[in-house]
Amino acid sequence: MIRPLFKNKKFIIGFSIFLFFLFLGIFGPVFYKVDPMEMTWDYEQPPSSAHPLGTDTYGRDVLAQLLHGIRSSLYIGFLAAIISLVIGTIIGSFSAVKRGIVDDVLMGITNIVLTTPSILIAILIASYLKVRSVEMVAVILGLFQWPWFARAIRAQLMSVMSREYVYLSVMAGYSDLRLVIEDLIPTIATYAFMSFVLFINGGIMGEAGLSLIGLGPTQGISLGIMLQWAVLMEAVRRGLWWWFVPPGLAIVAVTASLLVISTAMDEVFNPRLREE
Amino acid sequence: MFKYLLRRFIFLLVTYIVATTIVFILPRAIPGNPLSQILSNLSRVAQANPEAIRAAEKTLMEEFGLGKPWYVQYFEFITKALRGDLGTSITFYPRKVIDLIIPVIPWTLALLLPATIVAWILGNSLGALAAYKRNTWIDKGVLTTSLIVSQIPYYWLGMIFIFLFGVKLGWLPVQGAYSQGTIPNLSWSFFVDVLKHYIMPFASIVVSAMGGWAIGMRLMVIYELGSDYAMFSEYLGMKDKRIFKYVFRNSLLPQITGLALSLGGVLGGALITEIVFNYPGTGYLLFRALTTLDYPLIQGIFVILIASIYLANFIVDFLYALIDPRIRLGQEA
Repeated sequence: MIRPLFKNKKFIIGFSIFLFFLFLGIFGPVFYKVDPMEMTWDYEQPPSSAHPLGTDTYGRDVLAQLLHGIRSSLYIGFLAAIISLVIGTIIGSFSAVKRGIVDDVLMGITNIVLTTPSILIAILIASYLKVRSVEMVAVILGLFQWPWFARAIRAQLMSVMSREYVYLSVMAGYSDLRLVIEDLIPTIATYAFMSFVLFINGGIMGEAGLSLIGLGPTQGISLGIMLQWAVLMEAVRRGLWWWFVPPGLAIVAVTASLLVISTAMDEVFNPRLREE
Repeated sequence: MFKYLLRRFIFLLVTYIVATTIVFILPRAIPGNPLSQILSNLSRVAQANPEAIRAAEKTLMEEFGLGKPWYVQYFEFITKALRGDLGTSITFYPRKVIDLIIPVIPWTLALLLPATIVAWILGNSLGALAAYKRNTWIDKGVLTTSLIVSQIPYYWLGMIFIFLFGVKLGWLPVQGAYSQGTIPNLSWSFFVDVLKHYIMPFASIVVSAMGGWAIGMRLMVIYELGSDYAMFSEYLGMKDKRIFKYVFRNSLLPQITGLALSLGGVLGGALITEIVFNYPGTGYLLFRALTTLDYPLIQGIFVILIASIYLANFIVDFLYALIDPRIRLGQEA
């Protein structure tokens, strides 16, 4: 199933860029052993051999911050994505399987969350929490981005369940579990994976936004927090480009590569997009 | 059509009540009682005059209705919010929250509304063009650019613009909505000044919001071009341009729904963009409220923002009803 993906040029490009940043996040801090929080007297220095990406107002190394930032931003993204995926799958499949009043109630909730501006609610919740761990930020973000996924899962499952092969499986006396594993999961697997990828984007972007208004994780470094520091210290208007350009570029590169992966998967697996 | 609009109105009203309930519950549910934090903050923020602090404390206690049963508090909160009474700010004590919010709203609206509409129109046109010219270099160019551009946060693009056009080239002012020291008036020179300050925040929202619309529209048109009616018209020998016109119209409908759903995210991004530009809109006020933990002001801003999102949603629903013939003619969509 995976093989046709690696024939798609877009997928290969997106996947390579994402892998590159994943490696940077995982192994970067291991190999580049500079403490991102260590203050030195070399403050606001442009890139040099001692500090490949320069330093910030407190003389901290920007490259070290970037590597640690990529790590925690990816971590937040993954965590938020897993939370959204689980909530969305549970609500979507319950709705599809139970129908009736359960379906009405669950879809009512889903529509309310869908219409509610999630980033605003996330800002509001974060503003009441004095200490915010990286995980808490991921949870806050993950709690609000599942509705469209739940709706899509519900719609897909409903259409699958009315197909003949599922009906045949039921007549053949398959247990519910076997039915779910053999007939239902494969049909939603690609869609779920594509959504998962976009949820990671939502998490990374959401973290950056929250951090920029000062509501990101209270300890540690993320790409959003780097941007927040740069804004607080007026790095932009003072022309300290090496400070605010790298974290933004990293955000764009990671999220765009994931979007390309998802788009390419859609092209490969979605018959309506396949070219004649 | 009336039935459809009524249904949407009731749904949005319910949603609004749920959202304001969340705004009500949060400060009371989160451990550590933020209300006592507010009171302790008060002594730091308000003028060091003990009598003023005591007066502020009294207003706050009354406004939050502390000591009363929760359902009375809740009822008062909702009815007051509906009447536009959002309490008193702490940071700007004794000014009313509503009086602080009203002057900043026009700035946010003036930035957000035109930017969203322009991005929507440009993005959809580009997307449709790409789909029409599928697999040509135009399509590939539009798609690749959109995939990247759609992932640029508005505020970061804003930073890049400030750095390039403000700091390096010196073409445009780097912050604010008008030059410091000028008093807003109706003269031509003030208008030009505002316009100069407007370009960069406006452009950063338009450029990065456009990409998403282009990607979505391209997909929609490709789907529609493969649908039965488009195929059939082609077999009938209808001209490409004419088929495309029908396809374009049909593809636009989901994009209108998309516009309603994206408003929250667009607003969030625009608020942060305002912070980056020190633009005197709602985002900037919210930022000040957040940094001083001015909870009445934070709550007030949220009640207003959420209400305006739902209002905008309803307006989009109304437009949709006008455009979609199925709803216009009273059939169900």
